Amino acid sequence: MVQSGIKSPQPYARKKARSTIDWNQYDSGEFYDEIISHSGRARPATRSLVAFIRKQTIKHLVSRQHAADLAIQEMGITFTVYSEGQNIDRSWPMDIIPRIIPLQEWRILEEGLIQRLTALNMFIDDIYNKQQILKDKIVPQDIINSSPEFLKECVGAKPRYGVWSHICGSDLVRDNDGTVYVLEDNLRVPSGVSYMLENRAISKRVLPQLFDRNSILPVADYPSQLFDMLVSLSPRAIKHPEIVVMTPGVFNSAYFEHAYLAQRMGAELVEGADLVVGSDDKVYMKTIRGLSPVDVIYRRINDDFLDPDVFRPESALGTPGLFRAWRKGNVGLANAPGAGVADDKVIYTFVPAIIKYYLDQDPIIPNVPSFLCVNSTHRKHVLENLANMVVKPANESGGYGMLVGPASTKKERALFADLIKKNPRNYMAQPALKLSTAPTLCGKNIEPRHLDLRPFVLQGKNHYVTAGGLTRVALRKGSLVVNSSQGGGSKDTWIVDTEAG
Amino acid sequence: MLSRTAERVYWLGRFLERSENTARLMLVRHQAILDLPKEVQPGWEILLDVLGAHENFAALPGVANEKNIISYVFGERDNPSSIISSLTSARENMRTTREILPSEAWERVNSLYLSVARRSTKDLPRGMRHSVLTNIVQSSQQITGLLAGSMNQDAAYQFIRLGRNLERADMSTRIIDAASAGLMGDEEYIIPFRNVLWISVLQSLSAYQMYRLNVQRNVSPQDVLGFLFQSPVFPRAVAHCLGEIEYSVKLLPDNAPVLKAAVKVRRKLKARDFSDQPGAALHDFIDQLQIQLEDVHVAIANTWFSPGES
Repeated sequence: MVQSGIKSPQPYARKKARSTIDWNQYDSGEFYDEIISHSGRARPATRSLVAFIRKQTIKHLVSRQHAADLAIQEMGITFTVYSEGQNIDRSWPMDIIPRIIPLQEWRILEEGLIQRLTALNMFIDDIYNKQQILKDKIVPQDIINSSPEFLKECVGAKPRYGVWSHICGSDLVRDNDGTVYVLEDNLRVPSGVSYMLENRAISKRVLPQLFDRNSILPVADYPSQLFDMLVSLSPRAIKHPEIVVMTPGVFNSAYFEHAYLAQRMGAELVEGADLVVGSDDKVYMKTIRGLSPVDVIYRRINDDFLDPDVFRPESALGTPGLFRAWRKGNVGLANAPGAGVADDKVIYTFVPAIIKYYLDQDPIIPNVPSFLCVNSTHRKHVLENLANMVVKPANESGGYGMLVGPASTKKERALFADLIKKNPRNYMAQPALKLSTAPTLCGKNIEPRHLDLRPFVLQGKNHYVTAGGLTRVALRKGSLVVNSSQGGGSKDTWIVDTEAG
Repeated sequence: MLSRTAERVYWLGRFLERSENTARLMLVRHQAILDLPKEVQPGWEILLDVLGAHENFAALPGVANEKNIISYVFGERDNPSSIISSLTSARENMRTTREILPSEAWERVNSLYLSVARRSTKDLPRGMRHSVLTNIVQSSQQITGLLAGSMNQDAAYQFIRLGRNLERADMSTRIIDAASAGLMGDEEYIIPFRNVLWISVLQSLSAYQMYRLNVQRNVSPQDVLGFLFQSPVFPRAVAHCLGEIEYSVKLLPDNAPVLKAAVKVRRKLKARDFSDQPGAALHDFIDQLQIQLEDVHVAIANTWFSPGES
């Protein structure tokens, strides 16, 4: 019978079951998962996220991920990988599924981060001045003497408020029992904050629905907080001090961030050659109107390269005389030269004692238990258990030059054993943590991937902690290395207030 | 404003304008083929003449046919005057000054670059040319508009305008030069088409409609040249560009040497009579004009980009 034009009264046959996310398949194994508990349920703060994802088809999620990748490419959110030939810029990899931390937990972490940075700044100021903590034998003198990050040129310097590290990025990780640890402190030139900000911008662009259903702390005021902190360092008491961001240039891996922060703060982005130190020991920049005074420099260039008069004489990235200008109090430098003495991975092991010594408090966020290779009993333990250890050199960053025991080969372990024996002061080791995971879109599946968190803490006249931070995720299955230079990705990080209406 | 930043945004303005003008030139050359019988069609080499890229192209293995010249002018990264090279330089200058430019403008430049970069590795067949080239012209105008509508009209903005107008003046003289020398033979068979050819010159500068409105006479070489060189109202006319340059220069500090150089070109242009037939004299005149425009550039660089180093 011909039925053209007549609507069938029968309902159409049911469409094939849509391909949605099956959380029953999702299993983080022995690891703590940030989103899904061991019983397979969403954690309280993540309920609406999980409910949302449950309703989406895989196809839709993949299309959202694609939209995010495209937005990242168009917005030019990039990072640079060393020695990649012509194509130096890579698009920033971001997974669209956010990582969620409940506000109540975050408040405690925030307090812990401020406590830690406050104590570390008191420590640095003490080390370059009275050295009381060494005299009281809390930290051994020879660890400071042998630290390449201890700059004798800084002895006796008194930066404002006694603060040396104004911008700190501390890496937090969660072990399988749910405890959050500080893995390391970055007190020199920590990077990543621009990606935290851009990740949020991308999330809002591709998953706006989710923001209606959750009460998420905003992150966007970081640039103005940073600016206010930098203003508080100005040696001149004027209404509008000149703040500049100093970059090594476009070939630096974090150039995107330098430009981004300068733009968001309305500050000039300068290179070393744009600055001169006058015969009055003050800093000026070369402008189309001639020389113009500079009050505070947010330098994103390492100590070594800052001033060829004092440090590496061959450095073309720095400005001759800059250190002298800083010592005379004519310019604010953030972070101050020499601050790295406290983020040495050997000093790290003393941080709980440092907090106790200066603040008479117990650390709110614990350290990862650590073994110092310079100590012979510790060294013996490390050498015997290399396969279960993460071994780090004292002064490298970016995940370079470390050994991840569980993922290493016998040959690599033998090499590290040799390295440790040759220069024990340069190595420390920690038991390989069972880093927590979160659901991550991997191709057409959602799978658990390991992650960490880098919050950013500011200290000038006041303190400030970013709402969350940058979540870095190891995209390779089973990998624990989250650094973007080593194949890591990122996630937007939400501090969710479950008690808000 | 930092001298280094001033230099980079100035070049941003120049490279963006250069890519737009090159796209215009290709568009018009493309349309002219569709209008003219084969024997009258100007060769594709004219693109190379305008861009001063003849020698570099000749050094390459390919023959000088349509496909190769189009690829060379559009997507060849080894050709410093190709569209992809101009956009690469524009983007690189912007990437290193993005802290002072509206972020939407960076996104536009970046996405224009990405779309051309994707295309540049392939041929540009006739069927696609119009849409690809028009997109470049439109995106470039969108960026200019975006800057005009969302950026503080401070020193940085004036440097972009300086770059844009100086490049535009220079490109206009190149287009006219190539057109009047290369396009216009005296051969009998060209005469019936001469009108069409002059119209295509006007079109390459988006000037046809404006010419009609302004000149209100039929198309003649003398009127066209007068309009394209001396019109104070048409934005792509050389005189108008020079007026814009003077305007920007006056807003910048310590401007005397640059102003002097700019005024000199404008006076020379004003004094010129275009009533004779285009020929060798015109070519010489354009040569001198280009040298003086280069003097303006040198004055800008010495005054603001590397003061005290010249």
